[in-house]
Amino acid sequence: MQAISDFLITLPIGDFVATHDWVWPFCETLHFVGMCLLLGTVGVVDLRVLGVAKGIPIKLLEKFIPLGVIAFVVNMTTGFIFIAGNPVGGPMEYLTNLSLQIKMLIVVIAGINLLAFYATGLHRSLETVPADGNASGGAKAVAAVSLFAWIMVIVMGRFIMYNDTLLYAFGL
Amino acid sequence: MFEAIENSAYAVWVRESPSIFAYTTILSLHAIGLAIIVGIHTLIALRLLGFVQEIPLAPMRKLFPWMYLGFAINLFSGSSLLAANLTNDLGNWLFICKLVFIALAMINLELTRMWVFDRPVIAAPGQLPQRSRAVAIAALVLWGLAMVAGRFTAYPNFVEAWLGF
Repeated sequence: MQAISDFLITLPIGDFVATHDWVWPFCETLHFVGMCLLLGTVGVVDLRVLGVAKGIPIKLLEKFIPLGVIAFVVNMTTGFIFIAGNPVGGPMEYLTNLSLQIKMLIVVIAGINLLAFYATGLHRSLETVPADGNASGGAKAVAAVSLFAWIMVIVMGRFIMYNDTLLYAFGL
Repeated sequence: MFEAIENSAYAVWVRESPSIFAYTTILSLHAIGLAIIVGIHTLIALRLLGFVQEIPLAPMRKLFPWMYLGFAINLFSGSSLLAANLTNDLGNWLFICKLVFIALAMINLELTRMWVFDRPVIAAPGQLPQRSRAVAIAALVLWGLAMVAGRFTAYPNFVEAWLGF
């Protein structure tokens, strides 16, 4: 962690954040917009696969996924700026934050879930689902994991600034 | 009266309890409700503006109860957070702006339902009521403004300095 922090401090991000007071709240706002777009695209596809709003063809709804990918990139970028450019506690404050560590773990789980969806060929089963039809059980399981993971990413994201309550709950 | 609310047992619990279910969980619920309502409404607005036009509009009506769920979550969580910090929040003009934008965004949501989705003609492909474009643009603008005002509620000093107050 210390090595990563030492590297991040050498980047000019910290200086830029410290000398431009609009950067932090601007990135925070973008981070929230990205969150909404991710849930509004990936989350809605998950809901449809789980059987909500039948009549919407899953295949067509999936065309909104690239917007979710853009949102994810926006949030990775702004999130990186928060860690590398933290003007008060520096990168270490975040890198050692249990809530952030759990959040990143869940992002990785969501990514593995998505890779498994393609690697196992489950995605092909969705192409033949009629507009008002049911997805396969396997696809529903992947969608349920995805939806739960992204909601928990939001929750753990909010916990970062209130990490003490998490430590308190864990008796740490 | 503000003080009575802020000093109520519930408001004190929300604000001061070290429990994981107090302030932190309620704040998390507020972000989840935001993502649900703004996320789904953005998707619907983009569809009305011409993205992925092959998606039939009629079944998208079924997403409205989910937006109402998001709003209910945020009415509850937002009221709780407001009770815990009433005097400060109501004295913050950016917070008042946020409430106004949310009210307008919700009126626009209802107009979208009435004008676009609760009309029998929506089953016909390629035909959209004239006003569908207007309510879609209004949705993106109003939710965007509500989120900017909401986030900058935490930075009134910055904003006032930028605006030269």
